[in-house]
Amino acid sequence: MSLAWISKLALAAGLIGLPATGCAQSVNISYLTHWSPETVALLEAAAKDFSKQNPDVAVTVRAVPFGDLLTTLRSQGGSSDGPTIGGIYDLWLPELAKDKLVAPAPDAVASEVKSAWPAGVVSAASVGGTLYGIPNEIDVYALNYNKELFKAAGIAAPPKTWAEFKDVAAKLTNKDKGQQGFGMINSWAAGVVHPFASLLVSNGGNLVKDGKPALDSPQAGETFALYEDLIKSGASVPAMATADANTTGPFLDNFVSGKTGMIIMANWWESALKTGMGDKFANVATAPIPVGPSGDKPHSISYSWMTVVNAKAGEAEQKAAWQFLGWLNSPKSGKNGASAMSDILMSMGILPSRSSDIEAHKDKLGSEFLSGYVSVLADARPFPVVLGGQEFSESLQQTLEALQYGQVSAKDAQANAQADATSILERAAK
Amino acid sequence: MAKAFRASAGIMLAPAVTLIGVFVLVPMLLTIWLCFQDWSTQTPFSEASFVGLGNFQEIFGSTSVGRDFKTALLNTTIYTALSVVLILPLSVVFGLLVYQRDVAGGTALRTVLFSTYMVPMIAVALVWSKLYSPSEGPLNQMLGLVGIGPQPWLSSPRSALVSIVLLNVWQQVGYFTVLAIAGLTQIPGSLYEAATLDGANGREQFRFITFPLLRRTLLFSAVIAIINAVQVFEPVALITQGGPVGSTNVLTYHIRRVGIERAQGGLGSAMAVMLMLSLMVCVSALFAFVNRKDSE
Repeated sequence: MSLAWISKLALAAGLIGLPATGCAQSVNISYLTHWSPETVALLEAAAKDFSKQNPDVAVTVRAVPFGDLLTTLRSQGGSSDGPTIGGIYDLWLPELAKDKLVAPAPDAVASEVKSAWPAGVVSAASVGGTLYGIPNEIDVYALNYNKELFKAAGIAAPPKTWAEFKDVAAKLTNKDKGQQGFGMINSWAAGVVHPFASLLVSNGGNLVKDGKPALDSPQAGETFALYEDLIKSGASVPAMATADANTTGPFLDNFVSGKTGMIIMANWWESALKTGMGDKFANVATAPIPVGPSGDKPHSISYSWMTVVNAKAGEAEQKAAWQFLGWLNSPKSGKNGASAMSDILMSMGILPSRSSDIEAHKDKLGSEFLSGYVSVLADARPFPVVLGGQEFSESLQQTLEALQYGQVSAKDAQANAQADATSILERAAK
Repeated sequence: MAKAFRASAGIMLAPAVTLIGVFVLVPMLLTIWLCFQDWSTQTPFSEASFVGLGNFQEIFGSTSVGRDFKTALLNTTIYTALSVVLILPLSVVFGLLVYQRDVAGGTALRTVLFSTYMVPMIAVALVWSKLYSPSEGPLNQMLGLVGIGPQPWLSSPRSALVSIVLLNVWQQVGYFTVLAIAGLTQIPGSLYEAATLDGANGREQFRFITFPLLRRTLLFSAVIAIINAVQVFEPVALITQGGPVGSTNVLTYHIRRVGIERAQGGLGSAMAVMLMLSLMVCVSALFAFVNRKDSE
């Protein structure tokens, strides 16, 4: 065969192969999260299972520290090459939707979510009635305490009221042992604001009411004063409260090592406690937030996370992303009728939000640690999701930290917090 | 002939000038334009609206935006001043030590000093955040051995910024020592020989020969140290996130938070312009000071 014939045959074979290649072209989508490497490995395994059933879709997972998640979404989400899927905190949704960085859910996904998730969770994933993400986790705050320290201090039960709370915190404080009664958190906005907000709602107050800041209420004044009392009495030591970019650090180390008697934290830190405490994790118990003098019963703060799709991603990528998310959050992808997403979340001690997932994980949710959180969920108040919410949160963080370190009085902290919140929310609403 | 030379010079310079124009001048001019606009970083430039000096009024105002900016500006100033004040004298001391070839262990010291500069900041941040740990940190354990109680380091607004400065000094001093050594090599040995013959002791030789002749090197070192310090970002982002109580919130980190995280491009640009102006004023003042000394 001459060279000319070989060339012609090769060209013909190439032309025949072209359409086939086009059909088999795969769609690459990426998933941005802040999870730890162990959890990312679980997500990657789930993505691999999905790709087995959908060989034309390849999913890659990328993780950044929590402190960098929003910045990464904002700096890369505006491009078609940015992450196709992002796990976000509900507080960020209004602004991401306003800036058209996240895509509205297709009708089929929206109707599935509306029928399978509780209405409150669906509303946190929606802006102006449009659903933008598939909710996956719900987090709620409760009082964690160290049973061993309670026993050593002769305390029989967790505090139910603020009066008891202050009394117990004082009994648990032992300066010689470097032990504090109640652990606050600083250098991390949610870690500072959410425990404060939990005490506030348990005292009958609100951070935001009817879209306007409500930090000038008497209930808020009492909550600021509680913080001041705890600091002044030495029952809470701000130097033991620092957090780092990964939401770990001294505040966690001090609770794990038995230097902190009580702390208000969300359920998701179960995995961090287990890792840090080993067998001593059995010493940790959960109780409702103590009720303040103006409160009626224990309340706390809840918030949710969801997965959203990059509005700037290509049509094929967006379609593949919704397909993957639909599968990941469906009862078909996990074990025993649970979704693969809920299996991943439960590995960290995070409560899934889909109704069928809560049913499927009923046994694990009944554990001593998590049942305390599940029991307070019904009376929890969602953290206000408003435009400017993140800036509001960071501003309140600064004020509370200044109060923790004795730089301002409770009265001034309250006045500053209300003035700052008013200016931030008014500017954001323009 | 002159025309041909100018044309050829223009052709030769064009690539560099174009690159500098596109990647340096255009972003700078854009930032200056944006500082007078109300603009979200997530929207096209066409949606920016002119607000005059409104952004500057806001960043110097009494609201949380103004307070946070002024705190970040002050923190950056303190960080820069402390870094320069510690790094420059230390680099000269280490440079003199290393430059003495007959001192035992000089080569080892030179290697150790420069090696800190080669360690990536992520590794430095990880190690130092553990060194500074208030409860289990080796630094506090060592202080305990000599009877000094545990220090809060990064956990207190009073010591957090200084702790970040110490980390910076530890990492950068090797680089500036190399610059000091380079300056020392430029001083003719004959000056020292003459001074020795005239009976000058070591301190006098340093005061009247080494220090005056190192002035240009130190000016260069100071400018680089100031620019490096003003641009500090990684240790804050990796370790403290600006806390506690904003005590380590430096301008670059704050601009990133405002401009990117909150998408307030106009405000972020106004802050960036203020940072640029402060840096220009600072470096110009330094040059003016040294030039005046030279002319004296």
